[in-house]
Amino acid sequence: MEKKMRPKIIQQLRYLTIKNFKSMIREVSQLVWIFGYPLVFILLFRFGYGLEVFNIFAPGVIILAPIVLISQLAGHFAEEKESGTLQRLVTTPVSRSTVLLSGLFSQLIVAAVQIVVMLLLTLLFGVSINPNANIFLLFFIPFLVAFTSLGFGLILASVVRTASSAGGLAWFIILPLQFLGGLLTAPLLDFIPTALAAEAMGAVMIYGSTAFDPIGLNLILIAIWGIGLILLGILLFRRKTAIL
Amino acid sequence: MEIAIETHNLKKYFDEIHAVDGIDLQIPKGSLFGVLGPNGAGKTTIIRMLSTILHPTDGTATVLGFDIKKEALEIKKRIGVCPQELVLYPRLTARENIHLIAQMHGMAKKDYKERTDDLLGKMNLLDRANSLVKGFSGGMKRRVNVLMAVIHEPELLFFDEPTAGLDPQSRRVVWDFIRDFQERECTIILTTHNMEEADDLSDELVIIDHGKIISQGTPDELKGKLGEGDILEFKIKEIEQRNEIIERAKSLEFVRWGKPVGKHRIVLNALDGLRRVSEIMEVIKVKMEDISVRKNTLEDVFIDITGRRLRD
Ligand SMILES: Nc1ncnc2c1ncn2[C@@H]1O[C@H](COP(=O)(O)OP(=O)(O)OP(=O)(O)O)[C@@H](O)[C@H]1O
Ligand SMILES: [Mg+2]
Repeated sequence: MEKKMRPKIIQQLRYLTIKNFKSMIREVSQLVWIFGYPLVFILLFRFGYGLEVFNIFAPGVIILAPIVLISQLAGHFAEEKESGTLQRLVTTPVSRSTVLLSGLFSQLIVAAVQIVVMLLLTLLFGVSINPNANIFLLFFIPFLVAFTSLGFGLILASVVRTASSAGGLAWFIILPLQFLGGLLTAPLLDFIPTALAAEAMGAVMIYGSTAFDPIGLNLILIAIWGIGLILLGILLFRRKTAIL
Repeated sequence: MEIAIETHNLKKYFDEIHAVDGIDLQIPKGSLFGVLGPNGAGKTTIIRMLSTILHPTDGTATVLGFDIKKEALEIKKRIGVCPQELVLYPRLTARENIHLIAQMHGMAKKDYKERTDDLLGKMNLLDRANSLVKGFSGGMKRRVNVLMAVIHEPELLFFDEPTAGLDPQSRRVVWDFIRDFQERECTIILTTHNMEEADDLSDELVIIDHGKIISQGTPDELKGKLGEGDILEFKIKEIEQRNEIIERAKSLEFVRWGKPVGKHRIVLNALDGLRRVSEIMEVIKVKMEDISVRKNTLEDVFIDITGRRLRD
């Protein structure tokens, strides 16, 4: 029998990503969370504690933004697993990896938007940024943190049964990352990605630094975290949804 | 005769559960092949193996000439699967859900857009095409579930209980819809525990129970095996005496066989049973709570073999 052409992976990826976006945008409560949660802290520090305090904590609050994404990503993949849509998709000529990639891809786009919005809001509320601060780094540091969020989200989605439990349990990762990483306080564990990122972000934003330590070094460490977590997440998720 | 699906000794064990236990099938191209069986018989497991999303424990199978293990991708390009559960994206519209499957198959946009609207029209869903599926009734979701399996005009279709939970009117719509594909020479595998559905639609069917084929043939052949008689079903109070009652009935020469079914029922096969109900009642001498007389159905074939109903 004649072989049919395989549909183009790039096309499949594009359509799946669009599908993910539509699903996300129409889940309003999730959107409220991922934009609302960091926003609450921006407002709290700016108007509750005043500009002085806001200047000190703004770097940490921006790092908070991509961390909240863990709940959305875990919810997304857990839903795909729980509802059987992943199974249904793979009865068509699309590979599990393409579906997985499209989910990660959509979240990265959300992260980028979210980070830019948070940066603009802090600026709008009058944060004082060192005039030598590297704008690219201000975006790139939190964006790199988003990769670790993808990893945490995937791992969580693999081990839970339902989307709602994924969304809830995500807070058991988000809150420790937030507090132990010292995003709004002093860091307790300075090797975790949030602590590394907050330190680097502070150095750029407040001191206008471009030094290798802490910035370059921390970025490398965050990247290692990100790669490790994502690989582990993909491995776990693939195993949990594998063909028996 | 060209073969669409062939399996040899196909098995799937989940630990000690023998979900599918040595199935041999030869399904001709272009036929509508029914798989009839009670809950837990292994119907869904067979479909999942043939649609390459579950690996068999043992045995081999080819679908459209391709091996289910080694050539899964070639199979996926050519099949459509309508799962038993409603598997839809709740926050996509009906139209978007259907489009997504077409997009995964790499269909041209113009083709799938036209076809989607055409199909939605056939299922009376066109006016809700742009509504999110999460707001749909169960029956509407089920119809979208079916459309997602057929949008890309597959050569081979798996329908896993496509009409479960539909009202009689929507069921007719789906049946007509399936017949439409039958006329287009598409091979269709249909599982059901609705005997009327299996009887009406299938060219040929297997009855399975506990993962094994217990009977196979055209609906008429299967019913023919039971003989020409009518089926009389009694509901009785004296359950302890069921076997004696059956023996007494069998003493009449026109009663061909009798079986106890469930807890309170007896099924008899009797030639010209309708006219002879009173004769039978006289012989068996019990109080009936209920009695019904009907032509042989596939359900009676199942009762004859297993002593159980399809749905207990
Ligand atoms: N993933 C699984 N893990 C363990 N057991 C399973 C799994 N899938 C199916 N089974 C078991 O295999 C048997 C057959 O199940 P299957 O779903 O194929 O039945 P079915 O004929 O489709 O029934 P129904 O009419 O209820 O849909 C059942 O006993 C079921 O519990
Ligand atoms: Mg089933």
